[in-house]
Formats: sequence, C-alpha cells, structure tokens
Amino acid sequence: MQPFSATLPATTGPAEWRLQFVGSGSEYFRIWIVNLLLTLVTLGLYYPFAKTRRLKYFHAATELAGQPFAFHADPWKMFRGYALVAVMLILYSVAGQFSPVAGLVAFGIVAAIWPALWHSSLRFRFANTSWRGLRFHFRGSRGGAYATLAWPLLAVLAWLLAIWLAAPESGQAPSTGAAIFLGAGWLVLVLAMPVFLRLFHAYRQRHLALGAEHTGYTATVWGYYKVLLQSVLVVLLPLILLGVLAAWVVPQLGSLPRPGQPADPSALIPVFLAGMLVYGLSVATMLGVYTARMQNLMWNHTSSRHIGFVSRLRARDMVGLWLKIGLLTVVTLGLYFPFAQVALARLRLQAVVVTSSLPLDELAAHLDADDESAAGDAAGDLFGLDFGL
Amino acid sequence: MAEALYFDGRSARGQRVRLSVSDGQLHATLLDSDGGVEGQADLLAGQPTTWHWPLADLTWPERTRHTRRVIELRRGGTLQALDDAAFDAWRAQRLGQSDSLVVRVQRHWQAVLAAALLVVVLIVAGYRWGVPLVADAVVALVPADVERGLGDRALAQFDGDWLAPSQTPPVEQQALRDQFTRMLTDEQPDASLQAPWQLHFRHGGDRLGANALALPGGHIVITDEMLALLAGHPDTVLGVLAHEYGHVQQRHGMQALARLTLVSLGASALVGDFSTVLAAMPVLLASAGYSRDAEREADATAARLLKASGRSPAAMVVLFERLRAGEDGRRGRSLPIALASHPGDDERVQFFRDAAR
Repeated sequence: MQPFSATLPATTGPAEWRLQFVGSGSEYFRIWIVNLLLTLVTLGLYYPFAKTRRLKYFHAATELAGQPFAFHADPWKMFRGYALVAVMLILYSVAGQFSPVAGLVAFGIVAAIWPALWHSSLRFRFANTSWRGLRFHFRGSRGGAYATLAWPLLAVLAWLLAIWLAAPESGQAPSTGAAIFLGAGWLVLVLAMPVFLRLFHAYRQRHLALGAEHTGYTATVWGYYKVLLQSVLVVLLPLILLGVLAAWVVPQLGSLPRPGQPADPSALIPVFLAGMLVYGLSVATMLGVYTARMQNLMWNHTSSRHIGFVSRLRARDMVGLWLKIGLLTVVTLGLYFPFAQVALARLRLQAVVVTSSLPLDELAAHLDADDESAAGDAAGDLFGLDFGL
Repeated sequence: MAEALYFDGRSARGQRVRLSVSDGQLHATLLDSDGGVEGQADLLAGQPTTWHWPLADLTWPERTRHTRRVIELRRGGTLQALDDAAFDAWRAQRLGQSDSLVVRVQRHWQAVLAAALLVVVLIVAGYRWGVPLVADAVVALVPADVERGLGDRALAQFDGDWLAPSQTPPVEQQALRDQFTRMLTDEQPDASLQAPWQLHFRHGGDRLGANALALPGGHIVITDEMLALLAGHPDTVLGVLAHEYGHVQQRHGMQALARLTLVSLGASALVGDFSTVLAAMPVLLASAGYSRDAEREADATAARLLKASGRSPAAMVVLFERLRAGEDGRRGRSLPIALASHPGDDERVQFFRDAAR
C-alpha cells in the first residue's frame, strides 16, 4: 500500500513547511456578523457557539503541508465552562464594591481555583485541535499549573495585603514610610513581570504533544527581559525626545495660552489631534514590537525531538498592520474588526516555518500509543473551559 | 464520485479513498496510487480496504470559499476531500442541501446585510431602552447600605483628590442647612418620606471652582466658590441644592454607575478583546448622554421645590448668568454644574423661566 504523497512537498529527510493561512476577511466577516447578531439576540448565551464557529474557521484556514488544522470542541461543554467563569467573575467584581476585605477574600478564592481552570482550559483547547486527524495533547499536570501560578498569585496577594495594611480606609493617604514601602513593592512586582510571563509560557510550551513528539522550551528569562524592554523603550525614548522638543518649541509659539490668559478653544483642536496621533502611534508600535518579538522568542525556543519551529515575524510589519487596523477600525466604526483578525492571523502564522527531521507520514507512525489519552482528554473534561485566543 | 484522503486518527498517513453513500452509511473504498481500486494483495496482508460510518456519526464541513472540506468522524479521524468543488457537487447530489440555517444566512449577502442592520438596530435599541431599563432594575435591588458605602468612598476620594476644607463660617453653613431643611419640609412634611441627604461644604480650589455635586448615598457637596458666585441670591443657592437633591432622590449616581457598567460590559463584549481604548469610547459617550436626561430631571425637582417653598424658579437664571460671566473671565478653570454633559444653558434657562410662569 502506497501512502498518498502527491500533495506533500517532501517525504524524506529533514524538511520545512511554512504555515499557510487561507482565510479571507470577507468570508470571516459573514461568520462574525451572524455570530454577533445571535450573541446579542440571546443576551450572550450564544457566545460559546460563536466562539466555536470562529475557532473552527481559523483552524480550518490554517494549513500545514497542505492539510488544515481542525477544531472539534462541543459548544455545549464550553457553555458550562463559561457559565462557571461568568458567575465567578461577577461575584469577584461585586465583592470588591462592598469592602476591601470582601474583595481580598474573593481574590483569594479566585486565586485558589484559577490554576485548575487554566489547566483545564489548556487541556480542552489542545485535545480539541487536530491535524491530519490526529489530536493534539496537553501534557501539563494540574499540580504544575498550581506551581506555575503560585508565585505570581502570592505576589499579587501580598501586594493587595500591603495596600490594605498601609491604608485600611479607602481614600485615606498612607504615611510616607508606607508609601515608600508600597513604591518599592510595586517596583519589585513590575521587575518580576518577565519572570512570571516566562513561567506562564513555559508551562504551555513545555507540555504540548502530537503523538510521540513532546515539546520542550528553552527561552531564558533574559530573553523575556529583552523583549519587554525593547517594546517599552521603542516607545518611551521617542516620547521623551518629543517631550523635550515640545518643552523647547512650545514657549517659542506666541499663539498658545500662557497661564492666566484666556485661551482660544479652537487652538486646542490641533493639540488634541496631535495627542491622539502620538497615542495611536505609541500603542501600535508597542503592540507591534511586543507581539512580533514575543512570538519569535516563544516559537524559536519550542521544539520536540524531530519537530522545530522558526518564526521570523518582523516587528515593522506588525507595527504597520496595527496602525492600519487602528485607523480602519475607527473609520469603519468597528466593521473592520473581522478583517483585522484575519490579517493578523495571516501575518503571524505565515511567519512560522515548521521543520521536521522525519517525513511527516513517518512521524505520525509513532502516534498510536498516545492518541487514546488525547481523545479521553476532551471527553473527561467536565467544563469545556477555554479562555485563550 | 468523490475522492478523499482518509486519516484514521492514529496515523498522519493519509490513504486515498473513494466515498459513496448508501443505507444511511458513508462508505470509503481504498484506492491505489493510480486511482484504481486496491487489489486482492492488500486484503491478504490483513489491511482493511473499506470503511463504513453511520451518517449520524459524521460532522460535515461548511461550504466555505477558502478553506478545505474535511469530514470529522466521531470516533476520531478525518476525511479530507481531494477536490473541494467535486466534493460539494457530489454531496449536494447524494445528500441534498443540509446546511444549517446559520450557514445558509452566511452564504447570502442579502441575509448578511440584514444581519448587519439588525445588529445596528439591536445596539441602538439596547443602548436607548435596554440599558436604562436593566440598570434601573439593578439599582432598585441595591440595598441602601451598599449605596451609602459607595457614596462614602466616593466622597473620601473627592476629598483626597479634588476638594479642600471649606472656609465658610460654620454659622453660615448651619443657616443654609436649616433653610434647605425647611424648603424640603414645605414640599414633603413627613421627613421619613424624604430621601436621606447630608450637606457638605468644601473649597473647590482651582480644579472644581464654583460647583455643586451629588454623590450616591445622599451626599450633597457645595463649594465656597459657588456660594461666593451666588452671594446675595439665597434663593438661587437653595435652587442649586434642590437640583442636587433631585439627583439624590432619583438615585442618579447609582443609575449612572449601573448604566456605565452595563455599557462598558456590552462594549467590551463587542470589541473588547480587540482594544480597550475603543471599548472605552461608548462609555464616555454614554456618560455624557445619560447625564443630560438626569440633569433635566434634577432641574425639574429644583423648579418644583422652589415653587413649593414659595420661591420663583426664575431664581436659577442668575446661576447661568454668573457662570457664563465667570467663564468669560477665566475659561477652562472651573468645572461648574453646567458641564459639557449638561443640556445647553439656553435650554435650561428657558426651562426655569417657563416654570416660573
């Protein structure tokens, strides 16, 4: 029996396949608008069904070596998961309105359950994703999720506790000593962000499996500091420069009001527009640099025994796309949104090349043993939780 | 006839098969690489060459323009059409049109357009009627304790960030408080039927200037600058307090909070996973829009209370004259109760003049 190979670029030796995204904005627009209508009409109850339809489309539009991915989730299962999370989030936000202590208790409860939900959602997502009929599998344990989230959650809990200790009554100003203490705590929290982010990513990227291929993750904390620093500085430095320039230029202009002098309100319009422009440029640049560099960092450091990834997403392409999206979304009052999602998926996915040192057909021959458990994942998952993407 | 690649769910190796339908089942017959039906040799080797699935165990693909046709098998595995157009034709011929309603709507541009228009209508209707209706129902359920707690925190926040202690002598403060109490009693003699209120005097400073505000839980704040602005017009001061009392009585603070929360929830459900900036925009617009209605209601309360206590609603006209005079002097420094979010000054002046007749 001959394996069918006409559509495969190569069947022997190490090979590369670029991910292809074949979805179209106009096609997704139709799905999106119908989803939106049904979600509105049902007061949100249709949301899990809408999400399943969206994910099905995006999975089907992503092709590797000529074959599309597929998403199989049962929306009814996701519905239960959403109901649970919605109730939890409502209780959480309401508790904070009553008193800081109630808010703290609610945060503690959410923190205690969240890692289990996260684990459950990752398992659900990957167990319901397939390629060439093979289900993916998330191998992370529930204990692993707790170990991963414990430090960030403890840090935030400690932070909330510190705020509460420093100023038990809201509105009351903390003492100078307490303010310094809080400031230092905040700085530590910010500096620890890259470490936490890497922990989250590592938990996912380390536990993906397709048959016998189990991924590992080698990105270092320094890689994360570099990406985050780059994303912030690329915006911060020009802004500082602009600020210095403005401080020098503005007093030279006679037309702007000085304190105590009545201002002409129409003079503020260009200032407002310039402000919006700078804001839009800053957000697009930061988002663009961050998404591009982070995607590259993450996938270039993820690999299994035979499969590797090469992501070469250029930051400037990403920044350009975000600018275009921001502008067109505002101009079209949001109707560009589905086109934006498709354009983002295309740019991001087509920057990724999958390498395999085994022919994909053969690679798959390793699979039979593990696949049963992958199917079991989806069935055994009580709540079809899925908050990703 | 349709041909497909059969992936059995255990191996990534695709097998070329020919599909046919009969007796409520889908059959797949293995083809050799030339497209012919497999010979006897493979049967002998123990490899299956045909498969059968009940139609109920299949998930058929939607007919899209850009993505491939893949049949999902319930027990795992997929069948991927080799030629999508041929597959669609074969499916339509053998099984008839079996797209769901949602898919059929998506396929027709007229239906898509109708869906888009319906979305717009629903958003507008939800914003205009749905949000106020739900928000007011929610507010009616909020216990007084909770509202008071919110109001106390809001006042504390204002005190921390915006307001300074009042420089008005306590005697004057008490006199005004007594006058206002009498004014309310004139309209509603039974104090237990009045909305609970507390009057606070503060210094507005550069940021709030001449101002008066009503917070949830019955807190009414009036600034020294407002008292100075209306010096010599005690009826107008009482009118301003009555306006704020109108906000308190009709729980506008809580209503605004509930409405804004609902609008922001709705906005983030629509576009939130995309941009928080964009999601914040309708909220800002809503806060301006809703508060115009609230101001009209509060103005009505002010006019009613002024009349009931034997004063003329026309006293309020002074407020707008003085505010306008103050604005021309030092624009942009004060944030008076005649904010941008209030109805036009001229409209309000006319309202109070009409009420005085």
